[in-house]
Amino acid sequence: MNDAAAGWPLVLKLLHWASAALVVAALGLGTFMVQFVRDPALRFDLTQSHKSIGVAILALTLARLCVRLLTKAPKPEPAARLLALAAAAAHVGLYAALVAMVASGWLMATTTPVRVPTSVFGLFGLPYPLSPGLPKYLFAHAVHVMAAIALAALVAVHVAAALVHALLWRDRTLARMWLGRRGAEAVGVGQNADMRTAGVSCAMVVPRLP
Amino acid sequence: MKQDRWLQRGAARLRRAGWWVGWGPVAVALSLAVLLSAGTRAAAPVQGWYIDEAHTSIDFKIDAVGFPTTRGHFNRYSGRILIDFAHPARSFTNFTVDSGSVDVGSQSFNDFVRSAALLDVAEFPTLSFQSTQVDKLDPRTARVSGNLTMRGVSRPIALKVDVEADPAASGRAVAFLATGAISRSNFGMNFGIPLIDDTLEMTVRTRALSDE
Repeated sequence: MNDAAAGWPLVLKLLHWASAALVVAALGLGTFMVQFVRDPALRFDLTQSHKSIGVAILALTLARLCVRLLTKAPKPEPAARLLALAAAAAHVGLYAALVAMVASGWLMATTTPVRVPTSVFGLFGLPYPLSPGLPKYLFAHAVHVMAAIALAALVAVHVAAALVHALLWRDRTLARMWLGRRGAEAVGVGQNADMRTAGVSCAMVVPRLP
Repeated sequence: MKQDRWLQRGAARLRRAGWWVGWGPVAVALSLAVLLSAGTRAAAPVQGWYIDEAHTSIDFKIDAVGFPTTRGHFNRYSGRILIDFAHPARSFTNFTVDSGSVDVGSQSFNDFVRSAALLDVAEFPTLSFQSTQVDKLDPRTARVSGNLTMRGVSRPIALKVDVEADPAASGRAVAFLATGAISRSNFGMNFGIPLIDDTLEMTVRTRALSDE
């Protein structure tokens, strides 16, 4: 049961903020290494880090989508119908852009004629399901760049909207996702029960990473 | 015998230079062969030189699309040079490079360059060059033709060599700057073509010190 004042389940909050940090890191690192790094060894190492972060984002996004689909969202703060629709579209867009980013990045690493093994944080290798090929790679690259721009724009809108909710409209939208005391107050008993169920279900559904 | 003394002194220096243990017998055989053949044809023997490792570097450069130009070098090698200024065509050189000693700037990048995609160090631990012909182009330039062996494939290549005697050493030290372009696909190293150039630019700087 959802309490009107309840926030998001703790696991979703953690996944959200961890993803937020990693997405900012991956976008920033990806742009920085391609635009500014002229040292080949540094570029090589940063690319490996970028790919590792991407895999971590994929894992977090899959877990998040799973938990999100299996738990009930807290009741939205009152808002105009059109705004609520726009918010829903932005959230779907964020998930879509995240998946597109990681998928196209993986495709790039897989199809590039300069195929370099990806060692995810030095722990395990990323499988490469497709054969290398320049046209496929150029397509994946184009998708990756466009998805990056779209994701960066959506993140900017997302952050701006959260600030508008918190500072102008002074509602609980941001508080429901906040990890601090204000966020903790918002977690209802029903949410925790939901969360446990979702956690168990997701652990069974999400395929194990290699 | 003058030649015996020359060999003994050369051997002592080469031992100090560190590669004598492995290449000693080969070097002795080659030195003898070169000396004997030179001795039968000319009064002046081919002068023996050893490589001044402090002034030697083996560098390479390769361009790529969407990736910075990669510059690297090898840290372990051995080599020898025999110079006959009177008959440049009788001069001779060979270099053997430990392919695992490649350095492109970071551990993970080195590991990748050592992998089967590129140098394949596990399978082919050495690169080598052995001259087959030396042509004097002008008083300070020579063209050294020879066979480069990389990834187990031997192919002829030609290097342009700028030769500069060190005036301070009164002819006992000679600096060489050898440059050449290698088509790596000739050696079965096709990785990344065309995004990574087929052409690898090699630069070998070395300084040879006379035994005499």
